[in-house]
Amino acid sequence: MYYLGVDVGSVSTDIVVIDENYNVIESIYLRTKGRPIKAIQEGFKRLEGKFKNSDILGVGTTGSGRHIAAFLIGADIVKNEITSHAVAALSLDKDVRTIIEIGGQDSKIITLENGMITDFAMNTVCAAGTGSFLDRQAERLEIPIEEFGDYALKSKNPVRIAGRCAVFAESDMIHKQQLGFAVEDIIKGLCEALVRNYLNNVAKGKEIKSKVFFQGGVAANKGMKKAFEEALGMEVIVPKHYNMMGAIGAAILAAERKEKRTNFKGFEVADINYATASFECKGCSNLCEVAVIKCEEKVIGYFGDRCGRYSGKVAV
Amino acid sequence: MKITFPHMGNVYIAAKFLMDGLGIDYVIPPLNSKRALEIGTLYSPEEICLPFKIMMGNYIESIEKGADTVILTGSCGPCRFGEYAELQMKILKKLGKNLDFIVFDLPSDIGFDELKRRIDKIALKSPKNKKEKVLALLDAYKIINLIDSLEAKAKYKAGYEKEKGECKRLLNECKKEVLKTNNPKEAISILKEYHRRIDNLKIDKSKNPIKVAIIGEIYTIIEPFSNLYIEDKLMDMGVSTKRTLSPSWWVYNTVLLSPLKLTARKIRKSAKEYLPIGIGGHGQECVGEAILSYKEGFDGAIQIFPLGCMPEIVSKSILPSISKDKDFPILSLVVDEMTGEAGYQTRIEAFIDLLERRRRYVLSRS
Repeated sequence: MYYLGVDVGSVSTDIVVIDENYNVIESIYLRTKGRPIKAIQEGFKRLEGKFKNSDILGVGTTGSGRHIAAFLIGADIVKNEITSHAVAALSLDKDVRTIIEIGGQDSKIITLENGMITDFAMNTVCAAGTGSFLDRQAERLEIPIEEFGDYALKSKNPVRIAGRCAVFAESDMIHKQQLGFAVEDIIKGLCEALVRNYLNNVAKGKEIKSKVFFQGGVAANKGMKKAFEEALGMEVIVPKHYNMMGAIGAAILAAERKEKRTNFKGFEVADINYATASFECKGCSNLCEVAVIKCEEKVIGYFGDRCGRYSGKVAV
Repeated sequence: MKITFPHMGNVYIAAKFLMDGLGIDYVIPPLNSKRALEIGTLYSPEEICLPFKIMMGNYIESIEKGADTVILTGSCGPCRFGEYAELQMKILKKLGKNLDFIVFDLPSDIGFDELKRRIDKIALKSPKNKKEKVLALLDAYKIINLIDSLEAKAKYKAGYEKEKGECKRLLNECKKEVLKTNNPKEAISILKEYHRRIDNLKIDKSKNPIKVAIIGEIYTIIEPFSNLYIEDKLMDMGVSTKRTLSPSWWVYNTVLLSPLKLTARKIRKSAKEYLPIGIGGHGQECVGEAILSYKEGFDGAIQIFPLGCMPEIVSKSILPSISKDKDFPILSLVVDEMTGEAGYQTRIEAFIDLLERRRRYVLSRS
């Protein structure tokens, strides 16, 4: 008997299947590429042969695309990323006190006490140091992103990079390159700058206590892990499924439910042709951008209308 | 003379009936929208706080509908609101809009004679006699109190409602109904009727919902558009909310109590331990309310303020100490024209989750 967790993020869509003991049986990592429906369908296609619909006892969704994903696949629970990440980390270690999560376009800090979230923060003004920025820098330096961290570990003399803003960090890197600094020193310098930026912005005013978990796609970067360890002076743990933690958390939340009936629509979702369109509602001065999801020319759902005139979810 | 005024929560309802009562022509600016914000942002200094920008949008949209006079309250307090009127006048003048601004400041700042001169600018335009004018003012005061208290009831009861969305539906229906009339007396009876309806609403007393206090900068907590409709979101989530600051609270405390130096006495007293002096805006109130909501048994508080708000930045840096000392979760949210809804929603959901899980944990321990 299994539970399904889906995390639709800005950069990646992660799908996991866990058993009742919360062991990860299957995990799929896909690029969202701005088309969450396509990504989910692709993932489901891969799962279709391996699992029966009746094997799935519960479904949870999370991530910025959690609502659309929940609608599409019939989720039993829709949770924000913060709770999901914390739940997943706590299932591995009850003593975790701080979670550093850096994803494609946002970074978060979650502090916990006695297995309970006590505080959290997300990046507000700047996305420097998140996955997309590192991706772009790796591309610019023509280094595969997978090897980015290894380069940083080779560095002996990291260069100081201005990390306050993604654009300025990039210009500063270019400048240092032109001065002839070694690539590994620049990369290490970049990691340090991004850690500095994280600690000064996202984690400002938060007490970071051990054990520290480092999750999200950026945790793959050994250079970032090392830079965090050096800056904090404590061990930073990267869990095995670091890039799937949101999805795992969502699946656990689905498993923790008291109710045993599921809304799961089945893996056939993969084979249905969905089309999305949008229009501007002229009903009032809000002029909401309403997204329409169509299935074989039939409208099956609306999103984005504030008053619920189309989606009908709340009172007008 | 065609009067207009900027939006702030339910102010437009009371202002409309005041003008109706006085028999003065007026324009209600279209309810705050992306368009108002876009126009406002275009013509405002970039670093100014969000309320200024939305208000600019309101003026320009009202001018499009024929308004030629703006009434506004002023403030010579140590917060940027003090320069709003002056700056807005200058900008509109530069845009070639010939507008008359009537700014109501406290007599302690501008003197009684000047205040009387400004009031007369409007009062003398009214065809009504003195007694009728006073009655119109009293009716408007009654109306703002009625609509604010109705809203407070709806937002508190939302956590207890048996049928989801009932409170919100009643509140929205009431706001629509009341605008259909031009008669203040009729408006009062409509509002009273809705009070009865909300009082008689069937609630589930066993529910024990999460209770959250909304604190922070007065405009951004009162005007729902500016805080991305946070109270509506919380109502949908079945959370009971309380917000002390409202237009009626402001009128009572600023217009009626401030000459007696009694403004927000209880709140300010509560703030004393952490912030003993007024720092402008409603910074001290924010701190005091955080403490009061803790004492009143709320589960947490959400502070909202516009980017760059000076008094609230001070209170924001004090709130973590309160949170730590009292073991009372407080979430700070900053809003401006760039605020993205997805991240905002995530934060609110995560905060409510935190409060729910906390409660379960405390219950399972005891």
